[in-house]
Amino acid sequence: MTKKRSIFTQEVIVGIVLVALYLIFRLISPDFGKYTTFLSMMDISYYYALMAIGVAFPLITGGVDLSIGTGMICYALAGGCLIRFYNCPTGLAILVSILFGVGIGLANGVLISLMGLPPFLATLCTCMITRGLGSVVTGSFAIPWPTAKQDNGWFHSIFKITTADNLKLPLGLLWIILLTLIMQFVLAHTRFGRYTISIGSNKEAAILSGINVKFYHVMVYMVSGLFAGLASIAYAAVIKTVQPGTGAGMELDAIGGAIVGGVSASGGYGTIYGTVIGAYVIIFLKQGLPYIGFNANMQQIITGFVLIGAVTIDIIKRKVIK
Amino acid sequence: MGPVIGSGSISFSFYQQKEDKRMKKKVLAVLMSTVMIGSLMAAPVFAAENLSDTTEGIAQFEGLTANEAYDFQIVVKSFQSTYWQAALQGMDMAKDELGVTYTAQGPASESDIADQVNMLNSAINGAPAGVGLAACDTSSVLESLQAAVDAGVPVVAFDTGVPEPPEGSIVCTVVTDNVAAGEVAAVNLYEAVKDKIGQGAPVRIGEINQDNYALNIQQRGLGFINKLIELAAADGFTVAMEGNEFYVNEAEGAVEGDADIILEVRVPAQTTVDLCSTEAGTILDKEDTIAVFGSNQTAAEGLLVANDNREVLGDTIVGVGFDAGTSIKAAVEDGTFLGAVTQSPLMMGYYCIYALTAAANGQELIDVPTDGYWYNAENMNDENIAPNLYD
Repeated sequence: MTKKRSIFTQEVIVGIVLVALYLIFRLISPDFGKYTTFLSMMDISYYYALMAIGVAFPLITGGVDLSIGTGMICYALAGGCLIRFYNCPTGLAILVSILFGVGIGLANGVLISLMGLPPFLATLCTCMITRGLGSVVTGSFAIPWPTAKQDNGWFHSIFKITTADNLKLPLGLLWIILLTLIMQFVLAHTRFGRYTISIGSNKEAAILSGINVKFYHVMVYMVSGLFAGLASIAYAAVIKTVQPGTGAGMELDAIGGAIVGGVSASGGYGTIYGTVIGAYVIIFLKQGLPYIGFNANMQQIITGFVLIGAVTIDIIKRKVIK
Repeated sequence: MGPVIGSGSISFSFYQQKEDKRMKKKVLAVLMSTVMIGSLMAAPVFAAENLSDTTEGIAQFEGLTANEAYDFQIVVKSFQSTYWQAALQGMDMAKDELGVTYTAQGPASESDIADQVNMLNSAINGAPAGVGLAACDTSSVLESLQAAVDAGVPVVAFDTGVPEPPEGSIVCTVVTDNVAAGEVAAVNLYEAVKDKIGQGAPVRIGEINQDNYALNIQQRGLGFINKLIELAAADGFTVAMEGNEFYVNEAEGAVEGDADIILEVRVPAQTTVDLCSTEAGTILDKEDTIAVFGSNQTAAEGLLVANDNREVLGDTIVGVGFDAGTSIKAAVEDGTFLGAVTQSPLMMGYYCIYALTAAANGQELIDVPTDGYWYNAENMNDENIAPNLYD
């Protein structure tokens, strides 16, 4: 007899929480409901959501990638340097930033899979390396990317377009939805995705069943690096001047989003759509709490409690399954 | 013609001597043009534009040479903004002139107070000829400063002064008059919006400060607040404070309850542009907001990021920035910002090394106030202002 699965999965619950948060913020502060506020929130959300999509894969294997926050800044600094100091075409600089992310992901994968470093330690090391590397690459200079009004600032239109009626449309949201669908498909319906889940569920069993765990481990971290690279472009489009030495802590928001969205903190389970919804819960909290009068410190406390709630659900869920 | 803050004939003659020795120093030429123009210019449009008298402080370095090839340690707040790069540029210029060396270090962000204290302690432990310090949090460095006194290491505070330091620790302070800098922003902003005040409903003026613990940001923020309250009172208007508790409690002359002006101060959790932009967004979204001031480069850039989608600055809301950087300069140029206040980080860095060298020689020092300017679209390309507008 098969057990009937509840429709109230963590993803659904978090989706309801997301809608509830939006309604509560809007009810208390009408300003939160403004379209321009929504646009600003979307701008900030892209790089967090992209990092969250990427880091979901290592998390599902039972690992983690702490290098995505500082990495994102490092890749944005490198790309910005190419444009600013070497007159590099924007397209090429974007490609370099993304490949830089993939490269650091590869390094993480090699350290973890082939050299046997624990994911926490390996990615903590690359977190430090990328944090310093960003400063070294730029000579500690903050690097402005081209503005939307400059000739080589076309990349801004990847994330936001303005219609003839001067209406701004958050095109980036479309890319986030598209990438969520693609990566969900990859996770649920491809060999790579199934093996990712298998490794997280039971690594020994995965090895015994003939899965090349080392190879897929490397792949998982490369995916994480790839999305950190993509996030760097979104970051440069929104913040414009990229500051070396920053980015530390941003990975925690992305990881927190994935956990809130139902990715198991100990691996073996997770969805990309849940991850993205969870990331938006974190973003809504960051953006919405100031509107209802909570100061910066309260924002962090509340976000912490939300994470505790999400992990508690995960623990209860596991106990019920057992 | 743009206003000039400080710089007179004494500083000019000092630079003239330097010019004879090292005429080819490009950045020195920039500084020279600044002080030359400054000495020639007529009185500025706004009185507050002359932030400080720099002549006496600069004169003490006349004819200075290093007795030895000193090696100094510099601890900056961070390398986050281009402001610090301009300061280092000034230091490079001075070290080349004096034949000394320095090593600069700083935490990843201006919020990383503990990291900076560790760096300061390490710097002092290395027994350098002197330490240049721009403190992230002025109260956190007091123990380290006592250690510097005990070790006989002179400390020059630049960018940010340290209130009530251990006796003998800070031998010289090289800073912009931050209170006056905040005041000049208030004077210009108030002038632009005063016709909208007292028309019935209260109006809101916002201020974004990146923190509430660094002395320069505190002084700048309160300089703006208190000047605005003073200007409003002179016109018969009242001001009520909202927002960050520190600034609300420290404001002088504000009223409780109903007022003609609501002055709202926002401070983010960390000193980053994206968090400043969120705080700025909450102010820009309010229907009664008529003006906003971002009190340093990070806060002003956050204000501009928040304005990207709203496009209200330069239209229904008057924006005033601080410091320079590519996006702030562009905003001043295209009218998004009414104007901004720039300091001279290059000059600050330059005189920090001079002060350290003089202190290492055993010279008694007085504080060195540095230049600051109000700039807008009309005067930003003037010869005395443009050199301070770093990218």
